[in-house]
Amino acid sequence: MTTPNQQEIISRHSLMWLLIINISVLLPLYDKFTPWTMAICAICLVWRYGIFIGKVAKPPRLLVTILALASALTLALVTSQIGLLNGLMNLLILGYALKYIEMKDRRDVRIVVLVGYFLIAMTLIGQQSIYYSLLLTIIVAINTCVLVSLYREDVKINETAKIGFLLILQSLPLALLLFLVFPRLPPLWLMPQLKTDQTGISDEVSFGEIQRLTRSAALAFRVNFEGAPPANNKLYWRALVLEDYDGNKWTQNDSIKLLELKKQSVSQASSKGLSVNYTVIAEKSYQNWLFGLDVATSDTENIMQLPDYRLYSSKILTQKFQYKVKSYPSTLMDIELDHDIKKINLELPQNKNPQTLALAKSYLRQFPKPEDRLSAIMSSFSQQAYFYTLTPPSVGPNQIDDFLLENKAGFCVHYASALVFMARATGIPARMVTGYQGGEWNKNANYLSIYQYMAHAWTEVWLEGKGWVRLDPTAMIAPERVIEGFDAYFQGQDSYLLDSPFSALRLKDYPLLNELRLSLASIDYYWSVWVLGFDSNKQEQVLQKLMGKITREKLAVFMLSSLACIILLIAYSAGLLHFSRNKDKISSAYLRVCKLLDRKGVSRSLDQGPVDFCHTVESQLPSIAKEFSQLTQYYIALKYRTLTPNGRKSTTKLFIRLSRQIKLKLIKL
Amino acid sequence: MSRPSHSTKNKITLWWSRWLARRLPPSQTVTLAHKSIFILPTGFGLLWIGLCLLLFLLGTNYQNNLVIGLSFLLISLFNTCIIYSYKNLAGLTMSSIPPPQAYAGETLVFPIALSSRHVQYEVLLSYPNNQTNVINTIEKEPKTSLVSYKNQHRGRISPARIKVESRYPLGLCRTWSHIDLDNQMIVFAHPIESHSELSSLESDDITNPSDRGSHVPGVDEFKGLRQHIFGESLRQVAWKQLAQGRGMLSKEFQQPQGQPIWLTLDNLTAKDIEERISKLTWSVDRLSERGQIFGLAIGQHKITPSQGEQHRVHCLQTLALIPSRRTD
Repeated sequence: MTTPNQQEIISRHSLMWLLIINISVLLPLYDKFTPWTMAICAICLVWRYGIFIGKVAKPPRLLVTILALASALTLALVTSQIGLLNGLMNLLILGYALKYIEMKDRRDVRIVVLVGYFLIAMTLIGQQSIYYSLLLTIIVAINTCVLVSLYREDVKINETAKIGFLLILQSLPLALLLFLVFPRLPPLWLMPQLKTDQTGISDEVSFGEIQRLTRSAALAFRVNFEGAPPANNKLYWRALVLEDYDGNKWTQNDSIKLLELKKQSVSQASSKGLSVNYTVIAEKSYQNWLFGLDVATSDTENIMQLPDYRLYSSKILTQKFQYKVKSYPSTLMDIELDHDIKKINLELPQNKNPQTLALAKSYLRQFPKPEDRLSAIMSSFSQQAYFYTLTPPSVGPNQIDDFLLENKAGFCVHYASALVFMARATGIPARMVTGYQGGEWNKNANYLSIYQYMAHAWTEVWLEGKGWVRLDPTAMIAPERVIEGFDAYFQGQDSYLLDSPFSALRLKDYPLLNELRLSLASIDYYWSVWVLGFDSNKQEQVLQKLMGKITREKLAVFMLSSLACIILLIAYSAGLLHFSRNKDKISSAYLRVCKLLDRKGVSRSLDQGPVDFCHTVESQLPSIAKEFSQLTQYYIALKYRTLTPNGRKSTTKLFIRLSRQIKLKLIKL
Repeated sequence: MSRPSHSTKNKITLWWSRWLARRLPPSQTVTLAHKSIFILPTGFGLLWIGLCLLLFLLGTNYQNNLVIGLSFLLISLFNTCIIYSYKNLAGLTMSSIPPPQAYAGETLVFPIALSSRHVQYEVLLSYPNNQTNVINTIEKEPKTSLVSYKNQHRGRISPARIKVESRYPLGLCRTWSHIDLDNQMIVFAHPIESHSELSSLESDDITNPSDRGSHVPGVDEFKGLRQHIFGESLRQVAWKQLAQGRGMLSKEFQQPQGQPIWLTLDNLTAKDIEERISKLTWSVDRLSERGQIFGLAIGQHKITPSQGEQHRVHCLQTLALIPSRRTD
């Protein structure tokens, strides 16, 4: 019987690899660990190291069992706090760590390796940047090395590493092919999601809200336009419409929230006029709102169109999300305003901001026409001494009064709030819109990047015959912010990117470094579009480009032929195929001449050496006698004389050239 | 119910062995190639494929292209492994080397020389139900591996097909072959100590019985040549051989003492023929050890009295090949 035995013992070489793999698989998951998990993993690793250097024995079975039970119990208790997926991940990590210390034979090692691959996949669910993916590919290769080390004892670590990495390298082409052609399926069932803090703008805005975002240099989304992008002052990315104001903060109206919850989409049938087409790649925000210009429509799956002309994802954005948008800048929003909505958009908080109300009354008396009134209010912002600042002075319970009449300094939310308040106080339906304004153009890859610090708030007022009209009071105080972009205006301000002291965006002052930053950003962009966002549409596009119209037969032929090519390639690089060729080109060239001579009637008998044969040729074919004797001399020199490397090289050259000449001459004969 | 299944199992094994015999006929030297190499995934390989499926599902459900990509990479790795597994046996040349003498009941050892044009790793060699040999690396230089084979019977023993197996590089695929290296050997009978048979002969003779049939160094008969020992009498030097350039050799002479012994099967007291053969085997070894001259008579077949290693082997083989009664 096979004994359980030599073949199953883990060699020291493998133990070494196991130490490496444990660290490299677990480290990228650092943000998923609970402290308890981290402690157990550290104990297991230290214990393994102890076994490796021979200081401790294997842990007793009882200890492992107790540790396992304790960790499972603790996880069960904390899972509700950290979320189901995180809990499962921690369970898996713990299982990995515990299996890791009690490994006895190669079977256990194989299981540890398989779980390792699974953990790598788990890491990829949370992290998807190109650099992370490269790092994880390397970790996959290291994991593979552990398996190789089981079958290669007593070799140096770098030899095993070479094989492991070579295997991965040779497997990449087929993986790429599968990635290209394998059909993509829609999600089959619902999965638990990572519980993470939401990022980006939130659905309620108070006077301190947007200020927080202006400190962040994180990417919010990227946009790729079909055709030229609109001017910067047209780029108002609508994300949320806030209609309820309680005197302190702005929130979404419940009617809209209800629609969002019900996942009901409204079709904008009336959209007409010129459209702007673009694709948005939104970064994960763990929220639902999407970004679009003006009247935005989209036919991408899982996107709802809301009655306030916004786009809304029916699923939380837990990873990058790509969608196509058609915007209609010239289409009017809500020519007829519903009575309920009108009421909502005229409501003001009770007993607040009496001074502003009084000011509004005076405007109403002075300018009876709504358009005139609004333009008067707007121009008052630029005519009076209002300042734009990201560090505004604090306000009391009557926010608008304090800002509008006392401080006269604030940022977009302040101005937008004041305008909406004034408009509503004079009988014009108005609402606050939040989103992003502007974008940074990357000319290397032709796309627009919108960062969190470009978050903005503005107002929309409803006018008879015009529908909802966008008014941005900030543009009156700081027109550069809107026309030239956020960076041009704020670079000098203290709170600009305060939370991102090491952000690459700070390189803007150095042209060369900025160029480098943009190039790296475009690589990341292509990665998002072509790898992370590779869906069935893109697949069809690529396949069509590769082979024209896709038919089943064509696809099959394409698959099979590329598979055959790849397998041959691997076999060749593995050293399995040998194309045996006569390596001695001198002999073969000489023999070819002899063969030709034979055809011409001068045959060489078996006992004839080159010199002897040369004499025969000289007597029988005098026309080539001179050349052939020269050839024979070269041949003898190359074959039997010791030559310097350079001499050999030049003689070989002469010999080959001469043999060609003789052959030509013989053929002509 | 169990009987038919048993017989179908037998049928399958029979069919399998016949098919193997046709496909891979016995040969002293075999170089493995596509015709003789089989590949199937191991249990771990199937688990691996399971993991790939799981990752694909996970990636699909999270709509995560990177996880899907990882599952494709692992599947592709499996594919690469098939090629590497094949390479790890393809071109492996195995040749049988004449095995050393052995008695029934001992574990036989079949030496097999292994070499390959390219380096191969972790090749396992085993006869069915026997211990497995692990050869870490096989290179161009032939390497000999002693493969054990448990055996209880005497006579011509032909081990079953040897199994060559490899799971390199990742243990995903098992590559194997069953090779018949045509390495039969004659296994001597199990020796059983028996003084009775020698003493029964010895009782006939009154003179020193232990010296019967043995040679003592003397001058009558030429025994052979051996290496000259420095200081020996020059008279014994074989000058002719020296002239031929064969080196300094000494001539050895001996003289027989008494009559040669005849060993026969019928003389023995034991009833069982196997036991008698075993006893004779022991006697042959004993007599050879002492350097006595003896002959062997089995029925009509007679081996003329002689001595020396060759004679011993001849006698033992003859004994080993006596057909046993119970078989057939």
